[in-house]
Amino acid sequence: MGGKVTCTLGEVKNRADFIVYWGGNPAECHPRHFTKYTLMQKSPFLPRGRKDRTMVLVDIRETKSAKASNIFLQVRPGKDFELITLLRAMIKDQPISEAQVAETGLTIEQLQDFVSRMKAAKYGVFFFGMGLSMTRGKHMNSAALLTLAAEMNAFTKFVAMPMRGHGNVTGADVIMRWQTGYPFGISFNRGYPRYNPGEFSTVDVLVRGDTDCAFIIGADPGATMPQPAIDHLAKVPTIVLDPHVTHTSKLARVHITTAPAGISAPGTAYRMDEIPLPLRPALKSPYPSDEEVVRRIKEALLEKPDWMGERPQMLQNQI
Amino acid sequence: MLRITGGTIYDPANGINGEVRDLYVEDGKFVSSFTGGRTIDATGLVIFPGGVDVHTHVAGGSINFARAMTPEDHRRTQAFIRSQTRRSGLGGMAPTTFATGYLYAGMGFTTVNEAAVPVLSARHTHEEMADIPIVDKSCLVLMANNEIMLDLLEAGEYERAKHIVAWHVWAAKAYGVKAVNPGGVAAWKWGKDANQLSEPVEGYKNTTPGSIVTSLAKIIDELGLPHPIHLHCNNLGAPGNITTTLETMKHLEGHRAHMAHLQYHAYGGDDWDTMKSESAQLAEYFNAHPNMTTDAGAVLFGDTVTITADGPWQHLLYKLTGRKWGNLDVENETGCGIVPYSYRPSNLVNAVQWATGLELLLLIDDPWRVFLSTDHPNGACFWRYPEIVQLLMCADFRKECMAGLPPEIMNRITLPEINREYTLYEIATIMSAGPARALGLQQKGNLGIGKDADMVIYHSDKDIARMFGHPRYVIKRGEIVIEEGDIRETPDGSEYLVKPSFDPGTDEFLRPLFEDRYCMSFENYPVEMERIERPDLQQCITTE
Repeated sequence: MGGKVTCTLGEVKNRADFIVYWGGNPAECHPRHFTKYTLMQKSPFLPRGRKDRTMVLVDIRETKSAKASNIFLQVRPGKDFELITLLRAMIKDQPISEAQVAETGLTIEQLQDFVSRMKAAKYGVFFFGMGLSMTRGKHMNSAALLTLAAEMNAFTKFVAMPMRGHGNVTGADVIMRWQTGYPFGISFNRGYPRYNPGEFSTVDVLVRGDTDCAFIIGADPGATMPQPAIDHLAKVPTIVLDPHVTHTSKLARVHITTAPAGISAPGTAYRMDEIPLPLRPALKSPYPSDEEVVRRIKEALLEKPDWMGERPQMLQNQI
Repeated sequence: MLRITGGTIYDPANGINGEVRDLYVEDGKFVSSFTGGRTIDATGLVIFPGGVDVHTHVAGGSINFARAMTPEDHRRTQAFIRSQTRRSGLGGMAPTTFATGYLYAGMGFTTVNEAAVPVLSARHTHEEMADIPIVDKSCLVLMANNEIMLDLLEAGEYERAKHIVAWHVWAAKAYGVKAVNPGGVAAWKWGKDANQLSEPVEGYKNTTPGSIVTSLAKIIDELGLPHPIHLHCNNLGAPGNITTTLETMKHLEGHRAHMAHLQYHAYGGDDWDTMKSESAQLAEYFNAHPNMTTDAGAVLFGDTVTITADGPWQHLLYKLTGRKWGNLDVENETGCGIVPYSYRPSNLVNAVQWATGLELLLLIDDPWRVFLSTDHPNGACFWRYPEIVQLLMCADFRKECMAGLPPEIMNRITLPEINREYTLYEIATIMSAGPARALGLQQKGNLGIGKDADMVIYHSDKDIARMFGHPRYVIKRGEIVIEEGDIRETPDGSEYLVKPSFDPGTDEFLRPLFEDRYCMSFENYPVEMERIERPDLQQCITTE
């Protein structure tokens, strides 16, 4: 298991005749997804647009997205992994039991219909949201669905993509990867990147009180993180760069107002499919961009003596 | 100003084969002489022009996908520790950008060509290349599966297709054109492949992989791109693909062409059990056709991660290995696949691949036409090049390595019969002067007056791998960047681009087609010139 079989959103627009949203509510959370990419668009391969496409929603409750779908599969909460595992068995004609099916809250007929539709598709796609990736099973659920998509390629073309949001989170992930090899949860405290989600992720570092300073750019952990993490942010010198005064700004020692990216600061944003889009500012801002502030702080830090002291240039084997 | 005295110079571009000469560098270029300045005494040392990698994958969406898929390798590999002026990084199978620059420079390479860039994510590739220090860079845009171009070829609109290719080269801010599995990647969008050169591509009536190859080669010659069509043939990696490769080469007659990673296209046999090397047959044809250059795409045993735009091949490799599989289909243009892989000497197929890469390097007689590459990271990581140099220079060492292979391999390869040993002059040709010439980079791979002062100074050493892995000095545009294994400076490199001419009406022709197929604004598609850090615009050339 592992890896990811995916595509750019234009491929979905052009080719996907079978679209599954799993554990997400695009109608309310990604309201342009249907119209721009998945359902309403026509293409040379799908000339009738919506009529040429089938949409399935798999979720624990009937959200507004269910109205947009052709088929709604209401999975029992916390049983996504079991359902995916059954589907992986069924596509390969492996035996499953009635009891196993019953556990998922669905019927064997529903599952058989789903499997035959997946196999009949010319180009199938799974979009999965936090209802899959952040509920019981977490990354194991995501891995299972990615594996189902990979295995479906033995029968037809199938891909999967996480429904990411929150501004340019994909851009941060992409750049961290090329600079450090890792997407997030990175520690530089030995002078080179190390990765361990659960240990070096922001929330864990804060809750343990392992940091004596915090520098927050374009995020508001003061509004979303657990209380012990917020308490630690209030305790140490916290510096916030944001166009707005946020919850985090209020507990920070320093808040620097910056120009909003894409409105009055240029840059690049990476879409959920990792396609980079240029940001062209429409307005002027009296405030500096995040980039300018960070660059000036970096220049000021260079004036300070090197605190790390003697160390080798390179370690052949990491310690 | 820097003077290097007493070194033994190997400069194939100027026919200098092991002569003791002094070199003078001023403002980053070689000059004839001056007085004063710093002197490096290179007596007893060997001097090469800086290495040039004609085919590597170091920046962009696909290598970054590979980085995401291999955290277990990052953890076990070497780490570069930051200083106040130097960024940290990790080496390994898919090195981080900063480490990529350090590692290339560390073995004397000063120019690299990123071989595969979709226009749609070219902005990303350039952002990454700006973060690769020391080396100069160029990149090639993927065209052979661009459906807008394929539709034009299908409709017989060759001239229009030519403008479209030129427009895309400039839109991607690329230096040349790469063709990967022509038609096959487009077919993969429907889960199919293109195996037969003369059979229409999935979804087309007239357009075949063969016709795509010929048209693109002709277009690139007529546009006068300094680097010819850079071609990854159909049927990569498949037993018996020698037929496809030879047929492809026939489609290229009368045109310039660079055949990428030829090792992966030189197999006989009918299946994995009967697979064997056909390098002798391929080299014979290649030797007789001077319109082509190639790079070896050599394989070394060990762990790596394979990355290619060849999506259908990667699906097959995933099914064969059962390991992680990454796939990314890019709308209208191309795709990419990622599978971690371990080449093992005990595996008969891998052993054949190892031998085939070396055979091609040894059987192609003109070192100006075959270049050192591993198709990084596909055959092995680029920082293992010194091991290949050792295999090429020492027949005894090759024999030693062959002793560790399964005995049933011997009737499948010709390596045991080859006694050729590369000279230092030939190594300098395949590692620097040759690839620079094939890329059309006249400032590179050349120690002549007025050229970029990129050079590498080695200790003369019987241990060839150590000699090439640990240069005494590496000098980039006159600046000492590596000294006895230590990184001294990390200057930023340039990026080479070309702007082939195209009909100014191409924008308006493309716009409606683009809006039909893509899902971003047409204005956001081309990479803006101001996003290229240190661009160096090269001129197009006239070809016969």
